[in-house]
Amino acid sequence: MTALPPPQWVLGLNNTSSSKPKSSSIPDPPGFTATLSTKQRSQSKNAPQTAVRKPPTTEETDTLKLKKAWEIAIAPAKQLPMNAIGMYMTGSTLQIFSIFMVFTLFKTPLTAIATLGRTFAPYTTPGTATRLLPAKFVFVLMNLLMLGLGLWKVNQMGLLPTTRSDWLAWETDRTWAGRAVPREWL
Amino acid sequence: MRLHALLASAAFLVAGTVAIFADDAYHIDYHHALLGFPKHDATFFQQPYAGSKASLIYTLSDKLVVGAVNPKDGSLVWRQTLSPSPNITDGFLRAGEEQDTVLSAVGGEITAWSASDGRFAWRTAFPDATVKDLEILELEDAKSERDTKDAVILLSDGTHGVKRLDGRTGAVKWTYPDNSGDSPFQISISATSIYYISLHSTMLGGLKIKVTSLNPLTGQKLDQYTLNSDGEAVPGSVLFAGANSASPILAWTDKSHKVLKINIIGSKSTSTFNVPGAGSEEVQKIVLHAPHRINSLSHFLVHYQTANAHSAEVFHADLKTHAISKAYSLPELAGKGAFTTSTTDANVYFTRITSNEVIVVSSVSHGILGRWPVKGVASSNELYPIHGVSEVVVRSGSAHAVRSALLLSDGQWALIRNGEFVWTRPELLAGAVTAVWAELPEEETLAQELAIEGHENIIAAYIHRVRRHIRDLEHFPAWLQSLPVRILANFAGKSSSTSATEIQQDTFGFHKLVIVATDNGHLVGLNVGNAGRVVWNIDLAQLAPGIKFDNPKLSISRGYFEVRQKGLETPLFINSTTGSALTAEKVKAESDQLPKAQTLISYDLVDGELSGFLGDQEASSPIWKFVPPSGERIVGVSARPARDPVASIGKVLGDRRVLYKYLNPNLVLVTTVLDARRRASIYLLDSASGNLLYAAVHNNIDISRTIPSALSENWLSYSLTLDSSVENSSRGYQLVVAELFESSIPNDRGPLGAETNSSSIQPSAASDDAAKPYVISQTYHIPEEISHMTVTQTRQGITSRELLVTLPESNSIVGIPRHVIDPRRPVGRDPTAAEASEGLTKYSPVIQFDPKWYLNHKMELFGIKSIITSPALLESTSLVFAYGLDIFGTRVAPSFAFDMLGKGFNKLQMLATVAALGVGVLFVAPLVRRKQINSLWQIP
Repeated sequence: MTALPPPQWVLGLNNTSSSKPKSSSIPDPPGFTATLSTKQRSQSKNAPQTAVRKPPTTEETDTLKLKKAWEIAIAPAKQLPMNAIGMYMTGSTLQIFSIFMVFTLFKTPLTAIATLGRTFAPYTTPGTATRLLPAKFVFVLMNLLMLGLGLWKVNQMGLLPTTRSDWLAWETDRTWAGRAVPREWL
Repeated sequence: MRLHALLASAAFLVAGTVAIFADDAYHIDYHHALLGFPKHDATFFQQPYAGSKASLIYTLSDKLVVGAVNPKDGSLVWRQTLSPSPNITDGFLRAGEEQDTVLSAVGGEITAWSASDGRFAWRTAFPDATVKDLEILELEDAKSERDTKDAVILLSDGTHGVKRLDGRTGAVKWTYPDNSGDSPFQISISATSIYYISLHSTMLGGLKIKVTSLNPLTGQKLDQYTLNSDGEAVPGSVLFAGANSASPILAWTDKSHKVLKINIIGSKSTSTFNVPGAGSEEVQKIVLHAPHRINSLSHFLVHYQTANAHSAEVFHADLKTHAISKAYSLPELAGKGAFTTSTTDANVYFTRITSNEVIVVSSVSHGILGRWPVKGVASSNELYPIHGVSEVVVRSGSAHAVRSALLLSDGQWALIRNGEFVWTRPELLAGAVTAVWAELPEEETLAQELAIEGHENIIAAYIHRVRRHIRDLEHFPAWLQSLPVRILANFAGKSSSTSATEIQQDTFGFHKLVIVATDNGHLVGLNVGNAGRVVWNIDLAQLAPGIKFDNPKLSISRGYFEVRQKGLETPLFINSTTGSALTAEKVKAESDQLPKAQTLISYDLVDGELSGFLGDQEASSPIWKFVPPSGERIVGVSARPARDPVASIGKVLGDRRVLYKYLNPNLVLVTTVLDARRRASIYLLDSASGNLLYAAVHNNIDISRTIPSALSENWLSYSLTLDSSVENSSRGYQLVVAELFESSIPNDRGPLGAETNSSSIQPSAASDDAAKPYVISQTYHIPEEISHMTVTQTRQGITSRELLVTLPESNSIVGIPRHVIDPRRPVGRDPTAAEASEGLTKYSPVIQFDPKWYLNHKMELFGIKSIITSPALLESTSLVFAYGLDIFGTRVAPSFAFDMLGKGFNKLQMLATVAALGVGVLFVAPLVRRKQINSLWQIP
């Protein structure tokens, strides 16, 4: 039994994007608003609704994308003072709260650096690829700063084996060449 | 604050709260409150006060302890130690009928104690004399009050004479001085007069017995005569001078125990009897037993003891005719036996106790009133009674019941009621001179197997271990069978009960043996896991006849131990679990205590100098010698324990730097005194090289007091008594603690640097002070004198240590936590944050013993000589055993029992919680499942 082709209404339901042919000069019926993407909607709020929108040029989108990328690159630095104050306030004692905070302090920058490519993927175009590098670098730097804050905190808590006492367990006692005992022990 | 600092402060807080929990008291600790061997003539049944229904057993022991024991269960009602000068061993204990005091006389001191609770009543002392005899004046006279009876004492050594003391105050009423130069022997009191018996030495070496009768009211001499005993009586042959009896008698024998001569005191005639020539056997001992009551019949029993048998004869004395006649004789029985005398009204009963039976006869006729076979633990032929006292209940002509408190030949004091052992008290332990820990055999075999595995290569060790585990499977069914019982016992909160003879290993290593050597040559094995009960008890004199084991040296090896004693050529080998002797061939000559790779040096105190010898040969010339500076006398030498594990080789400071401990296994602490200048000095030596590492001098010290010292890990402590006779800024007792570090600078390992091995002879290139450890010390005032100190031991040395000190004044043992006596406590200022995080508190010159530190809580520990400690399998716990007069044992957890659930942990509640949660889950699971399905079917 051969599968019947789906009926036309199913096709129409599934294929909403092509509902409005781009080349059509026929205006929309009054009262009909085309479904807009969120970006378009936000643009439409800022800019006065023009009857015909001029599509932005490649340079313009690139500049916009670069601007956006820099924003993302700087974003971790904005959290830095808040985190620093939080870390300072929690003190150096081991508490479940501060342990969670420190854990996030380590996790966030590391995952951010690991997913660097994905974070900047929307802004990578052939035109912006090289110009994004400083932004990426700053992004990594900011995350490293965050990581540094975490390290500082861990050190404050005494969890970093930086002192002699941390390696004391691996140091051994001397062996003495002679062993002297009282006569009555023999 | 930092992590380790947090841990340190946590440990500090925990350590500060360590005490004995109320529910642990009497469970983890045990105490044998002992008296010593009761003296035959100073032991009696007596009502504690007139009209009392029950009687107590009063005794004065050979350790000069007066005590009252409840005859029902053998528990101690009260006791008092008499502390005369050390060479006095003789004493007297008397109690008048229907009196509420008992009188003791030791040395020149007569003391009256309240009979019911042992409170002190009065004391009269004659400092330059020795009390030779003490009797209670039973007769009623006008001068004495109705309820207090006076005492009559006989003094010798210095001033000879008889004195009558007031029974209420101890004041002297009259004195009869004796300036004749005869040696006073005894006093005896009849209904009318006091007889003072003295021995007059003749030119030929014999003795003449002189009897002086005195007026009890005035002390005036009434009569004096000398008995014609010349040639027969020799020193020590006078057997008996009947005391307080209606017919006081005097009996003596000749040297060879062939003839017995008896005199009724007051008459000059003597009756002579031939000692029954029991076959060819020589009579070794003749003992005369007579009633001590003034209104009892004048009958007495003479006990003849030969090497293998004993017999007795009963004599009657006729007061009117002064004649003594033999009434009947008791048949000879094999073995050794004891006779006791008891009186009811005027009747006199003799109780004969042998290894097998108890026989009661009346003094009137030889008919047996009662006979009981001896049942129980002691029915072996080896065991026999030495002496005892009895109480007999006679109804309608037959003995209804008899109870006898007997000193047995194995050193136990037992009460036999109608032939059955009611209680035994291990009084021989009161003479403990030395004690050692012994491992249980299972533990030792395991340690041996592990040692084998440790020495093999990995594959061979693995095969060995698998084989061992397969071999262990044979115990699996038994283990499985015992499992339900154990679990039930666990929930019931009871430890599985073990009998006295059975010793088994426990999971925590609390079950160990302590082997105690006593001053009478016995060795006793005690199971400390089972309230210190006697497991075995052997007489060393039987293993090596002719040698007096008064201070044997015990050294423990695997499963057996060696006994060495001066005069003994080859050491004795004894199995530590059974107490049976082993032959030297059976014992593998191996000493695994000391590693063989190292050069062995032994040191000993020879002629007041401490000398070190290469190897263990005594003949070799010393390789080093420590001679104390001029005039100083070595009073004590203490070494680090043979097994003294140290978990951490450094001390972590508050800023996370490390002060490295000076850990030298060869440390030895020598205490010396300079008598002339009241100076005590402490010398810390490296005993491998004899190098002096540290010295301290203390002036104005009372050097007649002991200077106890202890050495552990990298610290030492000692205690001093300040001389009160000179101008001191302070008086009292001091505890000095010193700690040794490799360098004063943190993170620095001193002149040796990071070298992993070291020689004591030339430890480093540095010379003089640079090569010596850095020592800091602090001194504390303590409220009491310390007679002995030792340090707790744990398995790995992770747990902080505790200094155990014996306080003879308050009869207790105190465990001082290490952090309290840390020499790094800041002086004169509050600790900085870093120091506080280490747990250091500001130095205070006085340490008050916290009541929580007392290990003995309500118990009174008399005469503790020494404390030994041993690690348990649990790291937190150290086993403690103290001996001396008393035996005391407990276990301490200086850093809290962090690896064991406390008694307060409710296992049932935990199980109930788990069960309740399980049931809850069963109920809630369907609900949750339904909710999840519903949520899937709902439009969000």
